[in-house]
Amino acid sequence: MSELVPPPLEAAERQNRFVSENLRRIFIQIYRVVGNIADAQDLTQEVFIKALQRQDQLKDEQKAAHWLSKIATNTAIDFLRRHGRVAYCEVDFDTRSHEESPEDMVLRSEHRDYLEDGLRLLTARERAALVLRDVEGCSAEEVAQQMDCSKATVRSHIANARVKLRRYMAGRRR
Amino acid sequence: MIKHPSEADLALFAGGELSRWRRWRVERHAAECEDCRRDISDFEALRMESAALAVLPEVSWDRLAAEMKANIRVGLEAGECVDAPSAPRVVFSPRALAACVSLAALLVASVFLERPAPRVAQVETAEPVLETSGSGIQFREGDQGMVLLNRHAPEGPVNDLATGRAMQQSYVDSETGLVTINNVYVE
Repeated sequence: MSELVPPPLEAAERQNRFVSENLRRIFIQIYRVVGNIADAQDLTQEVFIKALQRQDQLKDEQKAAHWLSKIATNTAIDFLRRHGRVAYCEVDFDTRSHEESPEDMVLRSEHRDYLEDGLRLLTARERAALVLRDVEGCSAEEVAQQMDCSKATVRSHIANARVKLRRYMAGRRR
Repeated sequence: MIKHPSEADLALFAGGELSRWRRWRVERHAAECEDCRRDISDFEALRMESAALAVLPEVSWDRLAAEMKANIRVGLEAGECVDAPSAPRVVFSPRALAACVSLAALLVASVFLERPAPRVAQVETAEPVLETSGSGIQFREGDQGMVLLNRHAPEGPVNDLATGRAMQQSYVDSETGLVTINNVYVE
């Protein structure tokens, strides 16, 4: 008559496994779009809470992972839209690498700031499309699926993003 | 004069996102155009630079992950508290559903059949009639009537009162000598 519901313990274990398997990937994905550890942490938590509240979507693990990425992308885009330009803040954690000299660290940090200043010029969707394609290495089709839009729209976002960034870099070099 | 591809096309060419036909056109043009080749290599360099964003700051991942897991758990528990407990969903099988429908149809049919037939309204046209008989004064209207019985009433005279809608009958009891007068009015 009615559908069998898994016992609470099994459901809890499944939830924990799902979180452990996907947490790092989703955090990195969001971090690359919002560019800020604290916001990425909040948004990652929000994404998992949203996903786990709809457990019926978690039956097929492969589909669930894809669905989760989609929620993550949309949540990050919504966040950027709500907050306008991205606000970068210093990370509190120990960011020193044992293999890097202090000079290298400074250079790397400066280069990152330089890139992130350029990313501030992009719209939320341009930034998300560029990060998914050029940083995450997703195909244009995968980006379109994650952003819920057509491949043509994704191409347009990517082209605009690259053109804006190139102009920004050319301007900085002068 | 050479028509250059758009900047957007060059940006997409650098990332390999152009369709086959447009890629061929850009390729053919770039083979002979120094400016476009330089633009393409700029876009390719830009892609390489963007990849630097892939490097995460060296955060203490274990600590961050533990914190996030705990917050997710708290968020889910809070969500469960806020959500009103929904009534258990009952799913009927097709057989049970058919039985319910049949029962409902049976009930409707029985109510319909048991319902009293509507009365045909009778139009009473007959005037009320008052008349006397040996036993008393009788009132009749249509097929309904009423008699005021007086077993000792004589076959005597009956007075018609002024209105024509009333009658009076009087008699004397021979044993007791009491006089009884009956007045009957019709309204």
